[in-house]
Amino acid sequence: MAALLRSARWLLRATAAPYLPLSLRLLAGGPGRPHAALCLRAARARPVAGGLLSQARLHSIAAEKKNDLQEEPTSSHRRNASQFDWALMRLDNSVRRTGRIPKTLLQKVFDNTCHSGSPGGNQALLLLRSCGSLLPELKLSERTEFAHKIWDELQKLGTVYDVSHYNALLKVYLQNEHKFSPTDFLAKMEKGNVQPNRVTYQRLIAAYCNMGDIEGASTILGFMKTKDLPVTEAVFSALVTGHARSGDMENAENILTVMKEAGIEPGPDTYLALLNAYAEKGDIDHVKQTLEKVEKSDLYLMDRDLLQIILSFSKAGYPQYVPEILEKITYERRYIPDTMNLILLLVTEKLEDTALQILLACPISRESSLNDFGSFFLRHCVTVNTPPEQLRDYCKKLKEAQLHTSPLQFTLQCALVAQKFDLAKVLMKALKEEGFPIRTHYFWPLLVGHQKEKNVQGIVEVLKGMHEMGVTPDQETYVNYVFPSFDSIESVRAVLQENGCPHDDNVFSQAELRSKAVNGNLDYILSFMESNTLPFSFASLRGSLILGFRRSMNINLWSKITELLYKDGRYCQEPPGPTEAVGYFLYNLIDSMSDSEVQAKEEHLRQYFHQLKEMNVKIPENIYRGIRNLLDSYHVPELIKDVNILVEREKTDSRKTSKPSSSDLESKLEKLKAENQPIGDILKQLILMLCSEENMQKALELKAKYESDMVVGGYAALINLCCRHDNAEDALNLKREFDRLDSSAVLDTGKYVRLVKVLGKHGKLQDAINILKEMKEKDVLIKDATVLSFFHILNGAALRGETETVKQLHEAIVTLGLAKPSTTLSSPLVTLYLEKDDLPAALESTIDCYEKYKILPRIHDVLCKLIEKGETELIQKAMDFVSQEQGEMTMLYDLFFAFLQTGNYKEAKKIIETPGIRARPTRLQWFCDRCIANNQVETLEKLVELTQKLFECDRDQLYYSLLKLYKVNGDWQKADAVWNKMQEENIIPREKTLRLLAEILRNNNQDVPFDVPELWYEEEKDSPTSLPSPVEVNLQKELLNACRTRRNKDAFNIFLTAKKQNIVFDNEAYARLINLLLMKDNSTQAMQVKDFAETHIKGFTLNDAANSLLIITQVRRDYLKDALTTLKTALDLDQIPSRLAVTRLIQACALKGDTESVQDIQKLVNGLEDSIGLSRMVFINNIALAQIKNNNIDVAIESIENMLTSENQTVDPQYFGLAYLFRKVIEGQLEPALEKISIMVERLANQFAVYKPVTDLFLQLVDSGKVDDARALLQRCGAIAEQIPILLVFCIRNSQRSGKAPVMKSLLELIPELIDKEEAYSCLMKSYVFDSDVASAKALYESLTAKNVKLNDLFLKRYAVLLKNAGESVPFTEPPESFEFYAKQLKESKETHL
Amino acid sequence: MAASAARGAMALRTNIGRPVAFVRKIPWTAASSELREHFAQFGHVRKCTVPFDKETGFHKGMGWIHFSSEEELHNALQQENHVIDGVKESWFRTETEERFRRKNSQAVSLARSTPPK
Repeated sequence: MAALLRSARWLLRATAAPYLPLSLRLLAGGPGRPHAALCLRAARARPVAGGLLSQARLHSIAAEKKNDLQEEPTSSHRRNASQFDWALMRLDNSVRRTGRIPKTLLQKVFDNTCHSGSPGGNQALLLLRSCGSLLPELKLSERTEFAHKIWDELQKLGTVYDVSHYNALLKVYLQNEHKFSPTDFLAKMEKGNVQPNRVTYQRLIAAYCNMGDIEGASTILGFMKTKDLPVTEAVFSALVTGHARSGDMENAENILTVMKEAGIEPGPDTYLALLNAYAEKGDIDHVKQTLEKVEKSDLYLMDRDLLQIILSFSKAGYPQYVPEILEKITYERRYIPDTMNLILLLVTEKLEDTALQILLACPISRESSLNDFGSFFLRHCVTVNTPPEQLRDYCKKLKEAQLHTSPLQFTLQCALVAQKFDLAKVLMKALKEEGFPIRTHYFWPLLVGHQKEKNVQGIVEVLKGMHEMGVTPDQETYVNYVFPSFDSIESVRAVLQENGCPHDDNVFSQAELRSKAVNGNLDYILSFMESNTLPFSFASLRGSLILGFRRSMNINLWSKITELLYKDGRYCQEPPGPTEAVGYFLYNLIDSMSDSEVQAKEEHLRQYFHQLKEMNVKIPENIYRGIRNLLDSYHVPELIKDVNILVEREKTDSRKTSKPSSSDLESKLEKLKAENQPIGDILKQLILMLCSEENMQKALELKAKYESDMVVGGYAALINLCCRHDNAEDALNLKREFDRLDSSAVLDTGKYVRLVKVLGKHGKLQDAINILKEMKEKDVLIKDATVLSFFHILNGAALRGETETVKQLHEAIVTLGLAKPSTTLSSPLVTLYLEKDDLPAALESTIDCYEKYKILPRIHDVLCKLIEKGETELIQKAMDFVSQEQGEMTMLYDLFFAFLQTGNYKEAKKIIETPGIRARPTRLQWFCDRCIANNQVETLEKLVELTQKLFECDRDQLYYSLLKLYKVNGDWQKADAVWNKMQEENIIPREKTLRLLAEILRNNNQDVPFDVPELWYEEEKDSPTSLPSPVEVNLQKELLNACRTRRNKDAFNIFLTAKKQNIVFDNEAYARLINLLLMKDNSTQAMQVKDFAETHIKGFTLNDAANSLLIITQVRRDYLKDALTTLKTALDLDQIPSRLAVTRLIQACALKGDTESVQDIQKLVNGLEDSIGLSRMVFINNIALAQIKNNNIDVAIESIENMLTSENQTVDPQYFGLAYLFRKVIEGQLEPALEKISIMVERLANQFAVYKPVTDLFLQLVDSGKVDDARALLQRCGAIAEQIPILLVFCIRNSQRSGKAPVMKSLLELIPELIDKEEAYSCLMKSYVFDSDVASAKALYESLTAKNVKLNDLFLKRYAVLLKNAGESVPFTEPPESFEFYAKQLKESKETHL
Repeated sequence: MAASAARGAMALRTNIGRPVAFVRKIPWTAASSELREHFAQFGHVRKCTVPFDKETGFHKGMGWIHFSSEEELHNALQQENHVIDGVKESWFRTETEERFRRKNSQAVSLARSTPPK
């Protein structure tokens, strides 16, 4: 660690200087330097002591390893060391857990060791030692063979053997009862220039003794004596065995006496040797006697020893004595592995019956999770080819003994794994007899086996076997396991027929189809479907078709096949019919694709849908909605409109009419209200509908009107609506009303979050925090998505630079415990300053976060910026802080990444070469992922390059990341170079790396120079590869940024730059740019962008909003024909243009007198009025206006009159508002028209009692200051004065605008009785206040008090404030509370009256 | 940083809201139809996948059940043990729990999950 310190300090002081920007270099050389160094030293004083210690430890470990592997070159010794650790760990684990090593594991470790190049002595020893009794599943001869293989192979690879290796080999020989010549062995050692030691001699004696060669043993013994080597108990035990095996039991027994004489007390090993000797002779009596003797002595035989005796009896052919020994076994838990090993060994020796006997005696808990304890026995029996019938019997016994829950199934599995068809057949029959089903997939492992060898005959046998077993092969069987072994499917058919192998033609044909589909052969599929005569259900084809579609990009074939399905009588004609079936097919097709796949194939899908449209293929609306949701969740909403064109309209419309429109509901509501019936439900329904129509104004009006009947649900929807429309004021008021209605009511999480967002955005911080508090109090469910929303709220505020908002909301969220502080959630605190380029504050903020929450948000970005700006002192400060709080290593990594990111590779190199630094996989991976996400090829390449010598660095993983990035960019040359670099670095690539590499090469039509490991599941073959290049991505990012910040000029310039370089952005980017340009009223540029996009992106279209904006702009510029075309285009795309756009266009046409266009528009939007939110009155008004402008006054008037007097009225006269028409006529001074209109409305009033038009005309006259005309009209038609509701609405509307006091005044002069209405005088006062007309207000107040009208507090408050502002005294006590309070009070009092 | 956080969330969102259960320790004798049959008692099984290893002809003991609603998934998760072909399975709701069990038990497990596409 001291070294770590040194290098970092040195780097900062000197080396960094030449590469850092000039200003920094000056700084570093100037007087600031000594100070910085001083600081560093002071800050590091503490950690140094600990650091030194840990480094010392590191060195000692390295030294130890070095001793083991002396001959290794230093560069590779670390890798070998870690590999050795790994191998040791695997083998050691296995031995500790089970007392044995599976052959496959040993083989794997051996292969790996060989692969690593030059295996060390340790590894060799480890491998050799494992070849004895640790392999109970192998025959003795096989084990020795294995040992020899290892010995020779490693020797070839340059391993130098020492005496430990020879001794290990000897031990293996003894354990495996291998017969060999000890003299030859000694000669071999001599040749290898290795001196035998005591252990060698001991083992050689044992070897002689095992063969019963006492003479040989004596020779060695004599040799040991001359060398003055001590004779141990092991030698005496060996001699016991030796004498016994030579047939001399007496001398064997005598050895014990000899031992005692020699001063060595016989221990358990010696007795065990004797016991084994008796057992081998079948002498149970002596065994028992000896055991008793041992029991009486203070010696103790372990279970393991007893098991040894059992083995001796069994191997010598005396299984009858086994039970007697079994009785003596205590079955201590730790000996269970030994018992299992004995069982395995016995099975290996073909003594299965004895093995079973021992197994059944095992006191295993029968209910525990280990209840399939017998598995190891069954599996091994299968391996050693125990006869099928015998195995079947074992299964039965194990089941009875509750040692296995499903022995037959398990054994069958083993048989299948081992490809033992005959055994499998017997077991399947047994299963069948016991009533278990035999399933198709049971045969797959067998087929796989034959498939690997392309053994056609074998496959036929299995298929026949299936038939025998009454199992029919299904599609999958054919496709996955049969077809691959044949050259063609035709030949499969032929071979099956030839061999009399029955098969279902239907299934076979479907399999064939599927197989073609998997390969994307849509041509075949099409021709098959055209010529097919088999009764195929569409359902059976669907899966294959979807696969095929996804594998082939031939859209024409997609469409043709779909058309066939839709129209051909063979496929989808039964109920529910082709519309449903094809609809579901499309749904399933999209559902089966991943989001990235759909994104990549967006254009293809669009073409496909359009072709289907041409073919007149339709889908039901409910399925369309499902598809829409899918596309939405895949983030490709742009495709929705393309699917929408397929919707079957007729049905849609019939459904639509059954749903009441908002105006229906409204009239129903008024009716109920008039009848004094409860309206709560219908009100809520109407509010919800208005909300879904996004009609905020209307919804709010409605709420104001029927406040007393509002329910919680209505408020919730309204609050949400206001939030969506960014209307903080109303949202907050509604929330308060909501609380008053029911203080315990809880909104859903999303609505709370939206409220917080809107309130925060409008600077209502305290209110936002109150909402957060409420969320806590009401224990609102906080999901991951909620936390993410919090982040977005904070981040949005940070990007807008709203310091207080970010800080206070973050503080509130964290202290309330709504979300835990995390690097993500807290990052806006830092972003705030990074965006402002205030680096000291950014760093301060990061450090502050650490002190408060122990997290360091955006430290990487902060460091990068500091390096870019050359802020030495701040870098120093950051490093000091990080190293103090999180350790040197973390600091170094932070610095390393920051240098890499900023392109200071030399500095990065210095850091990563700091002695003592180790790989931190998670941090490296983090940086790799970052590079991949941002497509930083060079940075990642540098990372991989610089970490080459990093200790414990997972090179393969790093290269894997690099390949991932190359794959994204489709750069196969670089990927190929990686392959070579990996060989150079001697890295053993993991399978996934090879697969990825192969995929890149294949995708680019290159040969793959190695065997590709197959995947066990099907992988995407045609994943997207044509991702945009970094330049494009960056330009596009800039463009989107400019759009976001509404810099239209910049954005347009970026577009021009890209255009010059022939770079094409995606749909979204162009749509945003066009929107922005239109918003800035720059339609020429917008059209330029649109034209470019249309010529460069197939099927580029503007979205709803853009088209609406375009229409508005065109209307404003008086390009009415163009606007009409735009509207047509939008409607053709099934877009819903905005109400404003359509209304503006209609009005513009009407003012031109262009009746035809208005009528055209009416036809165009027919059926969409509700979706757009257009009232029929818009057309009635504007058509009439256009006609009048065209001097067709009579026609206009006649048609209006007809509408109002005919039997079947389309619009309730109550709502037949012609105010717009009247206003325009008055404004336009169209006197003849006005005259005729006047006559008409009077006629309507007098003859038909329709008063709405006359009242409207009257009000418009008043409004335009034509008071005399109005008065005259009123005199002619007195009923106007009785139209109180219409008049009041007029008052309320006017009181909301300023400058309307004169109008109101004139109205009240004309109809003085109106003043008695509370609404009217309130509105009047409001208007006076608006216009600060104190005199009129006074007059109003006095006239009202004179009439003894009881004035409400709100009125008084208004008046009082007006007076005060005018500096006049208030003749009454001013109501003390706020306006809001009285407004509320007033509403409440009204509610109670009702 | 902001961008990468947003990306993370995208992945998150696709995870949520798909009522999919991940089943482990499926006995080798059962394939997707058996699984489908078993889980049909909890709701409508839209899709059931048990991928087979084409190298061995066996499946890897895991599969994905796509229910049509969260509620049905919840029903299935409610039951402690699931026994298919006489082999006991246990279900786990969370990743951590599953990891813990993977270490400590031999039982079959289930968790909600996103299936491979």
